[in-house]
Amino acid sequence: MNAKKQINEAAAYKPYSWQTVLEFRAMWVVLALGIVLPFLVSKPLATEIMIYALFALAFNLLLGHTGMISFGHAGYLGVGSYAGAMVVFYGGVGVWVSLLAAMAGGALVAVIVALLAVKRKGAYFAMISLAIAQMLYFLALSPFKRWTEGEDSLKLPPLSVDFPIHLNLSDQMQLYYFVFVIVALAVLAQWRLLNSPFGHALKGIRENEDRIRACGFNITRIKFLSIIYSGLFSGLAGGLLAIYLGAASVTTLFWMTSGVVVMQTVLGGTHTFMGPFIGTMVFLYLRNNISNYTDRWEMWVGAMFMALILLFPEGLWGTVMQKIGERRRPSAS
Amino acid sequence: MKRFLVLTLLAGLCAMAFASAAPAAAPADVGWEFPLSGPYGFYAEEMKRGVEMAVDEWNAKGGVLGKPVKVLIRDSELKADVALRRMKEFVDSGIPIIGGNLGGGISMVINQWANKNKVLYMSTCHNSLGQGPDWGYYGFTTGIKSYMTGAALADFAFEKLGKKWMVIAADYRWGHDQVAAFLVKSKAAGGEFVGAIYTPIGTRDFSAYVPQILAKKPDFLVLSVFGSDLVAAIKQFGELGLSQRIKLALPKTAMPIMKECGSAYNENVYGAVTWYWTLYKKYPNAKPFVDAYMKKFNRPPDADTDSGYVGAQTLFMAMEKAGTRTDLAKIIPALENLKWDLNQGPEHFRKCDHVRTQTVVILQGRGAKAKGWDLATVIAEVPPSKTMLPCDVDRADSVYGPIRNKLPGK
Amino acid sequence: MELSWEIILMQVIMGLALGAIYVLLASGLSIIFGLLDVLNFAHGTFYMLGAYATFVAISLCGNFWVGIIAAVIIVSLIGALFEMTLLKRLYGTDQIYPLLMCFGLSIFLPDIIKMIFGLVGKVVDYPSLLQGATFVDNLILPKYRIFLVVLMAVVLLALYLFMKKTSIGMIIRAATRDRLMVNCLGINVSRVWTVGFMLGVGLAALAGAVAAPMVQTIPNMGDEMTIEAFVVVVIGGLGSLGGAALGGLILGQVVSFVSLLAPDWSNVSIFLTMALILVLRPRGLFGEEGRD
Repeated sequence: MNAKKQINEAAAYKPYSWQTVLEFRAMWVVLALGIVLPFLVSKPLATEIMIYALFALAFNLLLGHTGMISFGHAGYLGVGSYAGAMVVFYGGVGVWVSLLAAMAGGALVAVIVALLAVKRKGAYFAMISLAIAQMLYFLALSPFKRWTEGEDSLKLPPLSVDFPIHLNLSDQMQLYYFVFVIVALAVLAQWRLLNSPFGHALKGIRENEDRIRACGFNITRIKFLSIIYSGLFSGLAGGLLAIYLGAASVTTLFWMTSGVVVMQTVLGGTHTFMGPFIGTMVFLYLRNNISNYTDRWEMWVGAMFMALILLFPEGLWGTVMQKIGERRRPSAS
Repeated sequence: MKRFLVLTLLAGLCAMAFASAAPAAAPADVGWEFPLSGPYGFYAEEMKRGVEMAVDEWNAKGGVLGKPVKVLIRDSELKADVALRRMKEFVDSGIPIIGGNLGGGISMVINQWANKNKVLYMSTCHNSLGQGPDWGYYGFTTGIKSYMTGAALADFAFEKLGKKWMVIAADYRWGHDQVAAFLVKSKAAGGEFVGAIYTPIGTRDFSAYVPQILAKKPDFLVLSVFGSDLVAAIKQFGELGLSQRIKLALPKTAMPIMKECGSAYNENVYGAVTWYWTLYKKYPNAKPFVDAYMKKFNRPPDADTDSGYVGAQTLFMAMEKAGTRTDLAKIIPALENLKWDLNQGPEHFRKCDHVRTQTVVILQGRGAKAKGWDLATVIAEVPPSKTMLPCDVDRADSVYGPIRNKLPGK
Repeated sequence: MELSWEIILMQVIMGLALGAIYVLLASGLSIIFGLLDVLNFAHGTFYMLGAYATFVAISLCGNFWVGIIAAVIIVSLIGALFEMTLLKRLYGTDQIYPLLMCFGLSIFLPDIIKMIFGLVGKVVDYPSLLQGATFVDNLILPKYRIFLVVLMAVVLLALYLFMKKTSIGMIIRAATRDRLMVNCLGINVSRVWTVGFMLGVGLAALAGAVAAPMVQTIPNMGDEMTIEAFVVVVIGGLGSLGGAALGGLILGQVVSFVSLLAPDWSNVSIFLTMALILVLRPRGLFGEEGRD
């Protein structure tokens, strides 16, 4: 009896805000949905949703949680993808090492971007990150063609995993669950990261940079770390993409990849944890279907995106959270 | 807890919406994909129209094996991941034959995947599908091997345009293939090679190369680039007076290129295509194709329309002949033994590498004399016997491969 | 390769002409950013609209010069419409929303152009007056390129005079510094913003109009121009007109000479230049303290 009372008291203390609790539950619901996703949509689409959702979450680490507009995430994803594919192609290593190399590749680009632009804000950071990513695209396309195979794509042999269990990654179902498990682990890792003191400092920077600086935090260092974390996770997504495609393609590095991840994230809601994940699901699903009916689907995507910015700037999940918040306010105060 | 339940319910509803809209069991006979959005939209649309015309033609006479044929056509967005996903989705929904695509790199990724998974792939663009490691039993092409247009044009150029030549090549496989073809033919014909410039894809300014080209005084300049790059190059060379002094040789050209260059696409511009619409005067079987297209779209079809059309036609013919729409063990041999006479005289797929025996057409520009869509004059046709290498040479890539790997000026 | 003085001189001229396009584009971008604090992601789209508007005007009246002027006016009006109906609602929110709105427009508009004009690009011919080149020995002096350089100089001078000598220019400069103060003085800042946006996209349209004869005029022609304009602005320093001008000219020369010496690095070189400048001068050449 006493124990129960203690628990009740602890619950009443509410160390976490209702948003955190809601997001936590949403995360589990979405991950549960992930288990059945390949039965709801096509297996390749499900795999792509998972990979790009991880990418969007990594991207939102900067945009939503630190408040930095990065338009160069194609660079992290693409270099991660190439790094992962190259160690397999030239080094003949296994899938796990390839994923590590992909993360290292993404983080390396992040370090370069951070060194050049970590002190820049807003639009300036957006431009510099975009330019660096585009430079990487052109580098892979022509001067480094000898190693990247340029337009022809770096094609990988069939891959499989032996540890901890044997998986044939040419089989679409096994591939999906392989990707799903890694993405789920990465999502949990990001959750932990954002709910650590570091994560709260990030949010503080987004809300009021000067106050956080006044509290004695080294803003530059925190931002630097956040860019690198974002690069790590994006690189991981890139490595998964290379495994999924069986190739590293230069189109991954193209700037539109950055544009698409921005759209996915904003669609879901930048100021939330699960928003980018949900946004990616909806975006990829919709785009896939609209383009079945019209060749001019970009027009619809563009128009809907503009409408979204005007009417629901908080995105789908963000708006839902906002509405719940409004309903709670009378009682919660 | 109540909220959690509501949330779960919502997620469940989402899931149901997903499920209800998920691909219904409506598989087609062939799944095609082309990069309909993006910078190559025109060529993609031509291929798509070609496929649709073939389908309409067959269905008008009762379909294949007495049942109407159905194809699905999707947008591959010129992205490797989207292209591959579309193909996998086709195969997942039970379609055994896939086709299409534009761009050597992407079609090779698809080809590799198709061969790994034993799916018939009918490609429709210029690529190296029958060459070296890219060869596979399940791949066919109604496009052409990249080097063939270059080899055909080189034959023509060394005979008619002069001996001293220079090249501007896009820095990727296709561009390099053309340089290699010209180098080989140059050696045989006693040509004099004076220099090569490799430009990255997406180069928009070619004026910076003009001074060095003029300094080297070649008889003709090979422009082994395509798309926006090619149009910009021709326009700028026209502006700077280069194409009035030096002849231009284009290993690949197309109707929109000629159209977009306007009067800059003059008599000094020689280009290779796989097919041109005025050929219907020579090949009467092409007439209904051109007429039907003109009637529908108010302009003549392009070479890519032909490759899409022939790709779909040959598949349907092979199905009819094999007596099955799905059994690849019968359809592939039927394709290998198929002979057809559609837009360009009698043709077939070479049995040893599944490449269409494509004749290359050399066109001369008309400049200001071009009227409507009558943009160029056919001045030569180079038969496949002069451009195609034997299969074993291609498989080992022993003629062009070594040269491509050690290009001068790289 | 032998580098004769003729080749070097020609390369400089080509680089100047190339730089002229960059300067026009980037100064427009810089004005919009300086005044409205909006990063115009649709700048390349307006460049494309400029080219298409030129085509339409020329096919209606047959004169290149009228075509260019009409293009600038038409595109400015489209820009004003966009600013007043969509962009204006987002001022005062997070900087990212106007940026995303412009990004959405840059995805939306090319498809509209595809639907109106079709997938085959349009031809804008060189004006007959400026066609061809003067040959002096091996030296080519292309008339159109020289015209581009002159045009750039004239436009820059006009912009300078407009900003320094006219009252609206003064208001724009003041509003760039401190919009609240200008508002307090009883000036309708909202209208100034619209004028500034029109001016910016008008410059982009001018760049597209004069570039149209030299490149493929297709709906996607502006996609990468946006990024290159960004690079110029980063090099020059955000919000600085002089910076945009100098940055554009530098890039023109860089591209021109890298094309000569190492063509496969030509696309990469502009970004490397930017990275180098960022290392040496993090705020760009003329970037001001406090505006980042």
